[in-house]
Amino acid sequence: MKQERFVALHDAGWSEVEGWMRGSGRKAWSSALAERGLDFPSQYRRICQHLAMARARGYSHEVTDRLQRIVDQGHRLLYRPPAPRWHRVGEFIVAGFPRLVRREWKAMAIAAALLYVPTIACLVMIHFRPDVASMIFSGQALDRFEQMYNPARDKIGRTSGTDVAMFGFYVLNNVGIAFRTFAAGLFFGIGAIYVLVTNGIMFGGIAGHLDAIGYGGPFWRFVAAHSSFELTAIVIAGGAGLRLGYTLLAPGRMRRGDALREAGGVGAQLVLGAFLMLVIAAFIEAFWSSVAAFPDVVKFGSAALLWLLVIVWLMFGGRGRRSGD
Amino acid sequence: MLDTVRQIETPEGVSLRLHAAGATVRAHAWLIDFGLRAVAACLLLAVLGMLGAAGAGIGMLVLFAAYWIYGVVCEVWMDGQTVGKRVMNLRVVNADGTPVTLLPSVIRNLLRTVDGLPGIYGIGLVCCLIDPHSRRIGDIVAGTMVVHVLQRGALAQVPNEAPEPPSTPLRLEEQEALVAFAERGRNLHEARQRELGDLLEPLTGRMGNAGLRKLLAHANWLLGRT
Repeated sequence: MKQERFVALHDAGWSEVEGWMRGSGRKAWSSALAERGLDFPSQYRRICQHLAMARARGYSHEVTDRLQRIVDQGHRLLYRPPAPRWHRVGEFIVAGFPRLVRREWKAMAIAAALLYVPTIACLVMIHFRPDVASMIFSGQALDRFEQMYNPARDKIGRTSGTDVAMFGFYVLNNVGIAFRTFAAGLFFGIGAIYVLVTNGIMFGGIAGHLDAIGYGGPFWRFVAAHSSFELTAIVIAGGAGLRLGYTLLAPGRMRRGDALREAGGVGAQLVLGAFLMLVIAAFIEAFWSSVAAFPDVVKFGSAALLWLLVIVWLMFGGRGRRSGD
Repeated sequence: MLDTVRQIETPEGVSLRLHAAGATVRAHAWLIDFGLRAVAACLLLAVLGMLGAAGAGIGMLVLFAAYWIYGVVCEVWMDGQTVGKRVMNLRVVNADGTPVTLLPSVIRNLLRTVDGLPGIYGIGLVCCLIDPHSRRIGDIVAGTMVVHVLQRGALAQVPNEAPEPPSTPLRLEEQEALVAFAERGRNLHEARQRELGDLLEPLTGRMGNAGLRKLLAHANWLLGRT
């Protein structure tokens, strides 16, 4: 068949699909599909066949390019991944995320060790040799900590700022750190190790110093509650980063690219979960931890409940019956 | 390096052509996005500044959203295009050519911090230049790539001329080349057209404008006009 005849035969069909796709780009896909019914896939496949024929018969670029554009656009429409579904979010939080954390328990254990071993080492060291604190922090920083946790203050853990302001600050700062920890893990895990260890030293150093000068009470009252979500989230983000870096070093039986893509997918899910945990932690830290007025029972009781919640959630969430998938 | 088109075979047995976008256009798109976010954040912060300390807290949430969330939200809900990419006619696609989904988008935007080092996108630029599909590290790990969205040009028509079969049978590639010349030859200036036409003197038996007309006549015949 000569080109002109071919075009004359099919031009109307092509134009119709072109026009429809241009319009549907702006509409929601579901409504566009409802209006079109099942016509589109068969029409699209017919055009694919036209393109293959046009190529094989050596028709000119004006025809093949036009068909190629229709096929490119149609492919995007037809094989478009489903839009994110909101009920999956709940499912992910309750079951999928804890399952993933347990599956990656090795990375999590290493990350936890990297964070908690320096913490405890610093705590113990400063307990016996209080001057070590001034080796870790500058005098200015120590002054600031002492101000923040002065037992005489009615708001602990900060020198100024309201609850809402601190909430914004904690989200911007802590979530940023967690995201960077994960990303920096790509450098063979070194970035994640660095962040985990330095955070451990900082935390242990502050705690040890305040304990040594007798400000331990307000400090533990402040951190006990939100540390459940915050420290665990940092461990999870760090673990995800470690796994990414380890995969780059030792991809196992997969090609490096494929292994990285898989580790990236797992890591992104873990980081999304950690993101949620850090927002919760920031909320607790800003609106609950800072209140000094409650008695110790309430403070430490709520902290114990929160720790229990995190542990039970991560250990048992999604065990047993698998729903959906 | 030279051919940036990536071909993907679809289930229908035809190939999609993804035109990888290079570092420069992507930098332009990034600059547009950056400017947009900076201006929007400044305006919002100015308004929130009047609210006092609580405003500052919300302001920091705004900064957080502008820095970490903007890219993901745009890419997932705007068909793989942030505003800057839309202006520059770029799109982020998954490996199979469909618009990027949530997880890959999260990965590529998180790993921006790695690509961004040192200074402004040092690693990203080097990676982009080395990779055959101009992907930065975030794109490689996420399995995505940034492609040009092709614009539809006006269809060129072959000018009418009384159709005439060529004196010798032409092979398929020769037919294609002849029709392509007839379609697009007018984009060249006349001396160049004649020069090209003269190369085919053995086929047409004529030189200059007469040769060109003869070529058009052959093209008309090949297209099946009567």
